[in-house]
Amino acid sequence: MNQIESRSVEPPPVLDFPVKKEKRAVEIFIIGIGFLILMPLISIHRVTDFMIFCIFALSFDLLYGYMGRLSFGHLLYLGTGAYVFGLFIKYFQTNALLAILLGVLAAGLLGMLLGPIMVRATGACFSLMALAFNQIGFFLVLSPLKHITNGEDGFGAHAQSIGFVNFSSKTTMFILTLLLLLLVFYVLKQLTTSPYGVLVRSIKEDENRVRFLGYNTYFYKWVTFVIASAVAGLAGTLTALNYNFVNPNVMDVHQNVGVVFACLIGGAGNLYGAVIGGVAYMMISNYLAIYIHRWEMFLGLSMLMIVFKFRKGIWGNIRDIGDYFRRPKEIRPAAQKGI
Amino acid sequence: MLYTIFYGFSIGAILYFVSIGLSLTFGTMRVVNFAHTLTYSIGVYVLITFIPWLQGNFIPAAMIAILAVVPISYLIERFIIRRLYGESLDYTFIATFAVTLIGVDTIKMIWGVNPLPFSPPMSTYIDFWGMTFPLYRIIIFGIAIALFLGLELFFRKTIVGKIVVAALDDKDGVRSLGINVDKYFSIMFMLGSALAALGGVLYAPISAVQPYMGLSILLLAFAVVIVGGMGNLRGTFISAFALGMVMALTARYWSQGAETMVFIVMAIVLCFRPIDV
Repeated sequence: MNQIESRSVEPPPVLDFPVKKEKRAVEIFIIGIGFLILMPLISIHRVTDFMIFCIFALSFDLLYGYMGRLSFGHLLYLGTGAYVFGLFIKYFQTNALLAILLGVLAAGLLGMLLGPIMVRATGACFSLMALAFNQIGFFLVLSPLKHITNGEDGFGAHAQSIGFVNFSSKTTMFILTLLLLLLVFYVLKQLTTSPYGVLVRSIKEDENRVRFLGYNTYFYKWVTFVIASAVAGLAGTLTALNYNFVNPNVMDVHQNVGVVFACLIGGAGNLYGAVIGGVAYMMISNYLAIYIHRWEMFLGLSMLMIVFKFRKGIWGNIRDIGDYFRRPKEIRPAAQKGI
Repeated sequence: MLYTIFYGFSIGAILYFVSIGLSLTFGTMRVVNFAHTLTYSIGVYVLITFIPWLQGNFIPAAMIAILAVVPISYLIERFIIRRLYGESLDYTFIATFAVTLIGVDTIKMIWGVNPLPFSPPMSTYIDFWGMTFPLYRIIIFGIAIALFLGLELFFRKTIVGKIVVAALDDKDGVRSLGINVDKYFSIMFMLGSALAALGGVLYAPISAVQPYMGLSILLLAFAVVIVGGMGNLRGTFISAFALGMVMALTARYWSQGAETMVFIVMAIVLCFRPIDV
């Protein structure tokens, strides 16, 4: 057990247990307004895409930012959600809501099955196992299940409208995704500020001590893993619903770096950070890729920059500035570098 | 069946070349080096560039390819990994992954995205007990055995090897003897990268050459290192050949499932022996 953890220099975060309901409402409201403002600036279809990615980034942040497990194969659960959604619509029923529910359940179930193996590992071992499982999933949909998933070409999945809700309309998709994003944000915020969330964060800091306190850390890690997979599955079903199409690219191993980047640039360990990072990453990947041809190189360089100089991410720096001005003048410390 | 076992040995040999470097860097530096894919691919691409220059002479070109990797790996070690010693493993993992992204993009820029054609340097077959074996694969296997014995000697007899083995056991203890451990780690890192390039150079003729070629083999190598025990050199040797055999046997009956079976074996091993890294 030679794990070397970076010791945190900053004081432990203030735990706001009795959160006022108004504060939550304001937070949700701000995020909703933010995306509504973004909508006319960029096309509505893209903003829907951004929000789906934000849901995915939130689920990743629960795993990495809060529990300290860096998963390099989180797309497996997104892909599972997308495939279950698509296959259900293609072969059984065209009820989108039922399909979304099934996709989320399937991703959660996969998390439940893989969880006991995954949560035993820590650090890099966890990332590698996630990567390996993702590779297996990618391979499974690509060739052994080819007769139902149609292999590399993918298949279309057109959901029928339910009552007045027409899923092929962009506005409906936008509203649905926004509502689901706010719901996910609310649920995760409640979870992470609850005693359970504090426990998960303590596991990140020092798992042995939590175990000494008498908690069954495996169980808590497993639960967190299942929640993260289910939320990723939700993002997957929405992706499939948004594009009316599923192909193996949704769980391509190489794409995992995107969500890691998003989480880091936004600031890991904070739900706002995940949302900001998700938007930032999607902006970069959608717009910068047009101007800069060598876009992966840019991604690599900026990841190096983040690792060396910008570990707190966008949200961490915003919060630092806020803290700086909120404090009385005498005790303003110089800005601390790194975590 | 004998062919299958034979192919298993040659795949195992390649896995051994690639995973021994990972195992060394992990055991000594506690660093999971994702940039191993990069050194692997760069070795292959340098080889492809130099072969026409040397009128198709495989061995000198392979030497150049392996040597070309050494300065690159030195730069990675000096400027990326050394700055992240003692920090969370996740950061080294992300940083080396970023290096891989940059490197793969550079490869795409220089050599293009499309797969390059490349054929084995020798197509001689050897008759043995009424069966024909490709000589190239026999040579790969021979090199692996020689390398294993060489490394055993290196770690037992030379002073550098002894220091590294001691540092695998207790880094701080070695440092308190007044030995500059970082220097030896740097040497180990370069050795590991050169071996990855060797694996790439030997494997490229019997596989496809494309910018992302390193990734799948790296995943297999990670599986080897996890099964064999991180930093355990003999364990790596045995698990490389065992998993190579698993791949060959699976490929005999179900050709697409070969790589997946390795990960399944890895998962089973992890169920019984979790690793706290």
